[in-house]
Amino acid sequence: MGAMILFIFYGSILFFILATALRVRKSMNAPIHLHWELYKGSSVYELTEWWGKTGSAFGEKLWPMILDILFLREFYHRNRRFWYPLYAFHIGLYLLILWHAWLFVRAVAGGIETVSIFGWVWGTFSTLLAFIGGLFIFVMRMTDEELKVYYPPIHYLKWILLLVTLAGGVYAVDVHFKSSMPALLKYVREQVTFADFGYKLHPALGPALHVLFASVWLVYLPFSHVFQLFFRYYHYLRWDNVPNIRGSEIERRIKEHLERPVTWSAPHIQSGKRWREVASELQQTPITGSK
Amino acid sequence: MRPERKKIRLKDISLRTDEPLTTVTANDLMPLPPPLDQREKKAPYSPLSEDQKKSYECSLDGVSALALPKPKSKEEEEKLVERFLEGLRKLLSQNDNWLFWQPLIHSLESCVRCQTCSDACPVYVSSGNQEIYRPTYKSEILRRIINNYIKKRGKILSKLTGDDIELNWPTVARLAESAYRCSLCRRCAQRCPLGSDNGLIGREIRKLFSQEMGIAPKELHDAGTVQQLRVGASTGISSAAFQGMVEFMEDEVEERWGKRIKIPVDKKGADILLIHNSGEFMSWIENPVAFAIIFEASGVSWTLSSEIYGYEATNYGTWYDDVQLARISLKQVEVAQKLNVKKMVMGECGHAHKGLIVIADRILMDEMNFPRESYLPILEDLILHDRLKLDPQKNSFPVTLHDPCNIVRLMGIVEPQRQILKRVCPQFREMEPHGVENYCCGGGSGFAIMNSMNFKEWRENISSRMKLKQILETFNDVLDPRIKKYVCAPCSNCKGAIRDILASHDLWEKHGIYYGGLVELVANALVDMKKPFIEWEWH
Repeated sequence: MGAMILFIFYGSILFFILATALRVRKSMNAPIHLHWELYKGSSVYELTEWWGKTGSAFGEKLWPMILDILFLREFYHRNRRFWYPLYAFHIGLYLLILWHAWLFVRAVAGGIETVSIFGWVWGTFSTLLAFIGGLFIFVMRMTDEELKVYYPPIHYLKWILLLVTLAGGVYAVDVHFKSSMPALLKYVREQVTFADFGYKLHPALGPALHVLFASVWLVYLPFSHVFQLFFRYYHYLRWDNVPNIRGSEIERRIKEHLERPVTWSAPHIQSGKRWREVASELQQTPITGSK
Repeated sequence: MRPERKKIRLKDISLRTDEPLTTVTANDLMPLPPPLDQREKKAPYSPLSEDQKKSYECSLDGVSALALPKPKSKEEEEKLVERFLEGLRKLLSQNDNWLFWQPLIHSLESCVRCQTCSDACPVYVSSGNQEIYRPTYKSEILRRIINNYIKKRGKILSKLTGDDIELNWPTVARLAESAYRCSLCRRCAQRCPLGSDNGLIGREIRKLFSQEMGIAPKELHDAGTVQQLRVGASTGISSAAFQGMVEFMEDEVEERWGKRIKIPVDKKGADILLIHNSGEFMSWIENPVAFAIIFEASGVSWTLSSEIYGYEATNYGTWYDDVQLARISLKQVEVAQKLNVKKMVMGECGHAHKGLIVIADRILMDEMNFPRESYLPILEDLILHDRLKLDPQKNSFPVTLHDPCNIVRLMGIVEPQRQILKRVCPQFREMEPHGVENYCCGGGSGFAIMNSMNFKEWRENISSRMKLKQILETFNDVLDPRIKKYVCAPCSNCKGAIRDILASHDLWEKHGIYYGGLVELVANALVDMKKPFIEWEWH
């Protein structure tokens, strides 16, 4: 049992790293798509001869992206009722992630015995915030007519698992470790430094269950919406004002795609030829109708 | 009191019945403000005839946009379902659908079902929140079909992610129609906190049907892109007919306004090749005439083209088919190249702006990557730099502006038209909401030209209803018919849709609400025009 948990815990970390890398790679390698854009306000097309007046978008997008992720601004402006629990949950989660990072650093930094109560307050507050937010979201998802629409069963299970994980964290810290930060940090140090293997193979139930649940989340995270939120700003998905200039990287990538065969089967397509040929070698296009 | 409405579940899309899932009734509709609040309520669209019902698929809402024939046998149904599935596989393949793969996958994967987008949709709200018009409805059905029939992730996971859609012919037929109940205005996408684009999903469904199964509305395909590629314009205007129209325009200017102008055609080396939606020549010839008067008055070096493909800005492929979109874009650019002009400029046609300037940006390679821009910044420059002598008092009547989705939200041209209107119309007033938050005219994505069976009624009473409401609210203090009012709609298709809603409610006759383009207002304000350019004659 202990070995299994150990395997799952370290395996989930490895999985998280690998899956994240694969996910990033998948996005990086996605074919460049046609310029299908939305605008929040005035764009470069308001200028005459706009093609010489566009800038790089990377830096411009960074700050709005950070603000959006940090404050969930789009929900704040467009769905305020849902934003309240959503924001409590997310801010709790962000604080919890930071807290775990602090735990790892603090555990190996030494001087565990002198750690202040502040660490406990931080962890408990973050957990409670995430729990309350999550609970409200779960209840709203169960009761609100709009939020119930099309919400698949797997997401209800996801919220239950999340609340159980958070509750498990409280149990581990406050019941198993009796709210003692030195005891908690000692445990974390054993995990992080690979020390005391015997103890790891026979873990106490409280922390072991919490670690197990946390591992499930590590496996899930690379497929979650958090990643979508990041990717939408980049890879030409949103707020993309970079035009295709002759000789540019965009042109190079598009040209590769134009050599691909067209496989669509409707009569007007001329299936089998390359995109470049299908688009430019115009033949008498047949009138079509449903077959 | 509104009777309790039958709840539509996602799985109902598979119901094997000819009865529509929903029929929108008069009581369902979003109320309109005065003066239309007291009118007798009538059903938004007529039922199809028994013959039509027997022949065509209409089991989504009793409306037929596609005139989709019913399969004659079980085998034919199965074959069609298999072809749909084959098309869906291609839609999800990077190789087959590289043109839109990434935003499609992002949109399918990122939706958290918060339904924040629902209230942003004018069709959903105008129809009284009909479930089948909810922006996420068709997307969720597609998502669940993918989960069950493409990903095949095992019974338990399928159940947990939603496996309640049976893929049969009724599902396919209703999904095809539902892609034509969304005008691709993408107001829902603008609203989505996660960036999921239900408008794009709608377009991709349209594309699947067109590119794999050869199913598309006749007005967009046979009489649209196919006709354009064959004769040069979606209106069927030939090159010879076009040249005749130019002569007619010159004569009209002389006869109506006492000015003789020369409209340049096929002038090699001009700075600007101006391309209009050819519908302007058929229905609103005053629009290209106003352009000609303004460009002549300001001394711009410009030309029209009489070459096949050179006098038509439309590209209906933008709305339903990547191949047709690419073919038409390339043909249009070839004309500009041959004329050796400095740049192509789009006239008052929204989707031509978006299609050729923005979307085709990644279709046009090397020398085909030709400079293309909107007429709006050019016109703004002419006015702000006093290249035109204007008297705004000539436009002393209430004017409001409709923002075409393709030019504003989908392209980010927001301010030039406002700067122009502020200069030439002292009584300009915004409608609410406006700019990138605007509502579609209801004629977007081809709806304005689609008139199959009862679809025109559906458009006028449901998809254009929000725009009608906005117009009435904007002019609510000046409804007296003696006060002439002008809805400025700088896009051919928007203009057509707005004409139809004003006409179907007698708003010109009874309340003096007229419509037209932007350049007409500028021409009307020209000091040199001896007679008013705008003649207030309904057409």
